[in-house]
Amino acid sequence: MGKDDFAKYPFLNEAGNFIKETYFDLNEFERPEFKHIIEKARKRVESEVLKGLVCTEFEKYDLELFAFLISLIIIKHINIESITKKYSLFEAMRVEKFLTHDLIYQTNSIKRDLLISKIFHELLDLQIIQFDRQRNIFKMKISDYLSRSTLFHELEWKLINRSVDKGFVYLDVEETVRLVRNELSLLIYNKIKNMKITKIPDQIKLEADSIKHKVIFPTPVQTKNLKFPPCIEHALNQLNKNENLPHSARFLLATYMLSYGKSIDEIINIFKNAPDYNEQITRYQVEHLAGKKGSLIQYSVPSCSKLANENLCFYTHECKGITNPIQFGRKRLQRRND
Amino acid sequence: MIKNETKNINFLQKCFKEYYFNNFNHLESPLDISRREFGFMSFDSKMTRHISFINMGQLNAFLIQNVPAGIYISNSYYDFPTFPINEKRLIGSDLIFDIDLKDLNLPCQKDHTYYICKYCDNISNNLPSSCSICKSTKIDSTIIPCEICIRNLKKETKKLISFLVTDFGINNKSIYVYFSGNNGFHITALEKDYFNLDSKGRTELVEYLLGKNFSITSLGVTQYKNNLKVKIPISGLSYGWRKRISKNMKLFNITNNNLQKYVNRVGGYLLFKKEVENITGKMGVKIDPYVTMDVHRIFRMPGSINSKSGLSKVKCNNLDSFDPFSDACLFEDDRNVEVYVKTKLEFRFKRKKYILDKCSTTVPSSVGIYLILKNLANLI
Repeated sequence: MGKDDFAKYPFLNEAGNFIKETYFDLNEFERPEFKHIIEKARKRVESEVLKGLVCTEFEKYDLELFAFLISLIIIKHINIESITKKYSLFEAMRVEKFLTHDLIYQTNSIKRDLLISKIFHELLDLQIIQFDRQRNIFKMKISDYLSRSTLFHELEWKLINRSVDKGFVYLDVEETVRLVRNELSLLIYNKIKNMKITKIPDQIKLEADSIKHKVIFPTPVQTKNLKFPPCIEHALNQLNKNENLPHSARFLLATYMLSYGKSIDEIINIFKNAPDYNEQITRYQVEHLAGKKGSLIQYSVPSCSKLANENLCFYTHECKGITNPIQFGRKRLQRRND
Repeated sequence: MIKNETKNINFLQKCFKEYYFNNFNHLESPLDISRREFGFMSFDSKMTRHISFINMGQLNAFLIQNVPAGIYISNSYYDFPTFPINEKRLIGSDLIFDIDLKDLNLPCQKDHTYYICKYCDNISNNLPSSCSICKSTKIDSTIIPCEICIRNLKKETKKLISFLVTDFGINNKSIYVYFSGNNGFHITALEKDYFNLDSKGRTELVEYLLGKNFSITSLGVTQYKNNLKVKIPISGLSYGWRKRISKNMKLFNITNNNLQKYVNRVGGYLLFKKEVENITGKMGVKIDPYVTMDVHRIFRMPGSINSKSGLSKVKCNNLDSFDPFSDACLFEDDRNVEVYVKTKLEFRFKRKKYILDKCSTTVPSSVGIYLILKNLANLI
């Protein structure tokens, strides 16, 4: 793999080895001639965590590689869980763009195969097979596909809407790469979490603190005075911690809030804390669930047994006797009236 | 009525006990028995779960001592099969499917469905809002499947197998078909690729088989602001449902152009969508979704007696020639029993045709067991 590849895919072990081989010392970043690298890292972090824009700028490989390293240190120093998650997600989206491009346009088949082997086979433990080089079609086992696709909520990712044959799913390059976004994000997240830095250069610290001050924290949804069933409380708490909720949990939360009588705008506001929040998409989806878009069918809240099956049930003694989360309040009220 | 029930149950318990005592080898020895959860249904319909056995001998002893009406075994393998569900520690699960008459909605079904008043045993052939004699609204129903039913169940089973082999790549030799012992077929696929699939993944397989949630976008047909757009996806229409649908529409060598023409010919986007929905509905396999989706389900044990009929859950090595009313009836007819038949009946059993009137009659014990469990007769 070339040095450009290390810069595009900086989480690869080879990229780490390359940095080690340069014998660089973090303290050197106090020197003014390295200021432009810190500046580049700052812009990258600001673009991704403050503006929500994927940074696709790519200059010289060594500059990019060190800028990535500095940006990780900045995120580590900011030390806010939601920021770490958001940065990891946007960096994964950056990698996604490079990977898609390389898999389509890399004409050297040895380099291309090596890229597939390093990222998919070794790093992600996903066996993808090149099926049709002309059309850039890959195939993977159905079970490998499903273990990833079930995290997505769009209809297009459902197995039935895929090309399926003899135990394999056939995907184009973009789909193949999109499928592993969450894993790439987790790789970057773990890299930040596992970083052990004894002393951060003042110059980097300064930039990190300046970004930290610009962070606007979303208002957590208050649940203390409202009594929601534990499955809903759990989903709200996850969102308040900026966790990326799975589709099934988002579906539960939205349908529950609709049944609870919350307005579409109020529900959209709840989802603002999701790391991949996009108002336009969220609005469409909530309106769809409310029966105002698409099929015009209003979706009902999933039953307790369905939630248990999807590991979304957090049963407490207060749930006794209910079969659907919407009965939670009513049963409580009924018991109080009795 | 209570007297009848007690008499029926005592008789059935005796027959079931003899069956498990004399024919224990009919029970199929499961893979990795000590990692499986067992459940038992008693004759008063109480279910006991979270039981495990180290070997078949231990199970044998349990059956003779307890004589359950139904024996169930998990399709999942656990570290601790006797613990509560959340603490069992799932290792993996076989793929299981249930094809049941109730899901086929066959037109003949109404001709051999019986509605029984739970209170006075009065039977009618049409679903009443209340019993014509005692006015009770508690009505049970029971079916005696006819040849058409069995033929359609087999057809559906073959359809499922075709999907499993062609689409899911499961080896034919890893697929085992069982008659459920009542009104359907159970299919188990032992395929390591799907062993670790969670409930969500299995739900996707179910939707695939049912033909549910197919989006015409995956054929490349979309509509934006009332303008039809056709662009066949890069991954093509040569496989899976995309192939099934295009073949059904008799579309071969499809291009964007001829697909667009086809959509226009059927009347545009919405009518094309409707046509696709009809095709998926017709071509999907009518499985019971919950059986396959649930990884913590306990499923009737192969070789055990189905307490809704007295027939056994048996492996079908040749589905075409399989006759449930003779191949799954494993009770020995070493005696006759006298029963009161609650309604006029006509059915085939062990290659013999029975035409019974609503009166007392003497029948071979296997027929008696069948009719009592179907709630169509009482032991005298």
